[in-house]
Amino acid sequence: MRRNLSLLFRLLRIQIRSQLQYPASFVMEVLSQAMILGFFFVAFAVTLSQFGDIGGWTLGEVALLWGLAEFSFGMMDMIFSGFDYDAFGPLVIKGTFDQLLLRPVNITMQVLGSRFVLRRLGKIIEGLIIFIIGLSLANVDWTLGRILYIPVLIFCQVLFFGSLFIFGATTTFWTKERLEILNVFTYGGSEIMSYPMHIFPRAIRLLFSFVVPAIFLSYFPMVYILDKPNPLNMPVFTSFLAPFIAISMFWLSLKFWRFGIKNYQSTGS
Amino acid sequence: MEAIIKADRLSKDYKIYKDHKGYLGALRNLFDRRFTLVHAVNDVSFRIYPGELIGYIGPNGAGKSTTIKMLTGLLVPTSGEVQVNEFIPWKDRKDYVKHIGAVFGQRTTLWWDLPVRDSLELLKHIYEIPSDRFKQNLDSFRAILELDAFMDTPVRSLSLGQRMRADLCAALLHDPKLIFLDEPTIGLDVVAKQRVREFIQFINAKRGTTILLTTHDTADIAKLCKRIMIIDHGKILYDGEFDELIKYYGGSRVLSVEFAEFYQDPTIDQAKIIQRDGVNVIYSFKREDISASKLIHQLSEKYRIRDLEVQDQAIEDVIRDIYENQLLYN
Ligand SMILES: Nc1ncnc2c1ncn2[C@@H]1O[C@H](COP(=O)(O)OP(=O)(O)OP(=O)(O)O)[C@@H](O)[C@H]1O
Ligand SMILES: [Mg+2]
Repeated sequence: MRRNLSLLFRLLRIQIRSQLQYPASFVMEVLSQAMILGFFFVAFAVTLSQFGDIGGWTLGEVALLWGLAEFSFGMMDMIFSGFDYDAFGPLVIKGTFDQLLLRPVNITMQVLGSRFVLRRLGKIIEGLIIFIIGLSLANVDWTLGRILYIPVLIFCQVLFFGSLFIFGATTTFWTKERLEILNVFTYGGSEIMSYPMHIFPRAIRLLFSFVVPAIFLSYFPMVYILDKPNPLNMPVFTSFLAPFIAISMFWLSLKFWRFGIKNYQSTGS
Repeated sequence: MEAIIKADRLSKDYKIYKDHKGYLGALRNLFDRRFTLVHAVNDVSFRIYPGELIGYIGPNGAGKSTTIKMLTGLLVPTSGEVQVNEFIPWKDRKDYVKHIGAVFGQRTTLWWDLPVRDSLELLKHIYEIPSDRFKQNLDSFRAILELDAFMDTPVRSLSLGQRMRADLCAALLHDPKLIFLDEPTIGLDVVAKQRVREFIQFINAKRGTTILLTTHDTADIAKLCKRIMIIDHGKILYDGEFDELIKYYGGSRVLSVEFAEFYQDPTIDQAKIIQRDGVNVIYSFKREDISASKLIHQLSEKYRIRDLEVQDQAIEDVIRDIYENQLLYN
């Protein structure tokens, strides 16, 4: 494991070095990304100010949800870049995945190390700023448990989105093409997680509870942190299922991933 | 001697799924599991012993690369068994690949965007090659393969010949006892080919590395390999000495004659006219039917000859004959 990690960091260092070749333009790109993404929140905030609250949640409270989801998704999108179809699809289609199999190193590590999109810092910074805005606006009764649950949640959300990416990459072994519908769960999921979920129609809620259990990773935990009433009448423990769900999903996605690798057929020539 | 590679009744079928295009195409690919089977490798068995340099040949689509991919642990066999030393390649992949090297001529195994030097440096860490050993190997390969001119060039900018040399070096830095070379001379000019051949010979002779090599260039085989295996349609047709094969199937020889004047019917017993153009006539004859000197003697008694040349049938043609006429099927 130590060896794997040290190799991973070596691969990442190479990636980062080449992406920082032109530091000024890199910084500009990251900042403008953060701003573009931030405007979505600004527009939302302006709209919300006309109504006062959304489903009983104030702007600050939604900002906490929103910032957390953006931050985690950005982190994930950076760490798991190698599993993104743009990077992983060609590996399978062109058969360059062969080259990973020839190396005496864990395949997952190699895929992680194959790409690291540092530009995602834009989204991460944006998420962080919105989260901080949320902290200043919302009235949270901070207990030790609540404070500690925040980093745990971030970790769980990263794992959660990461599993979806791994799952999506694995399907490439069979489909060879981008499975667009998966974006509904990844990008759609992160979108949904930015809002208090009880405002959505039942069908959407069910989709994101049972098919892709995003609701357990943002809404329910945040109900606990903000001490909000729970209009969905869920038992209290649902606020604490995040680690369990994230870890099981990650485990499942890795199982599926292993299965996919076994079914890899390479390409001719 | 204990075999280094043991393949027993090894088979690989590829499943070719129907490829749906357009909207929802990918989704249908995932769930429409109808397929046709391609029997790429079919019930193949062989033994390879330490120190051998074996040519694995056959026409396009014969199953050579598929065999090599199973031997290197990239593909899981559909049936049959393969064991290399104490490893089962696909099962023990991570431990196994430490001990082998592979070059796939059609594509590089190096990092596309990295300079050659950095790629090799990365391999040092991946294979945990001790520094002094790494340096020794690199110095020696650099000299033989003449890598210095492009050590700092990104792999993607290398010419085919340069890339192949870099790949060969990369495959050998960790001192593998066994290497697989899938078309290491493909697309190379004569000089580059020669250099690669010399390197392969050097590795086999000086380091005792066992080498399994595929190629479409019969000159590679003639120069390098004592033993060959011929595969076609996924089945091994021949496994034995190259010289034996040529002696056995390549018995026919060619005599080209330029006569001093035009003859209406320059036929002669025991030789066949295979080409005729004015005073130039080409005969084909069998070594066991008549010797070259006897044939020439007979000819010169009947006709006036200006010039002549005797050739063995080109190895190329022998191999083609075997492929085309499926000679080895009996
Ligand atoms: N990844 C794959 N998926 C499906 N079919 C494949 C795949 N790879 C090879 N095949 C098929 O399997 C058969 C054997 O292919 P293989 O690449 O092993 O041949 P080869 O002997 O290496 O040929 P060549 O000399 O052209 O490289 C061919 O019919 C080929 O079309
Ligand atoms: Mg091939």
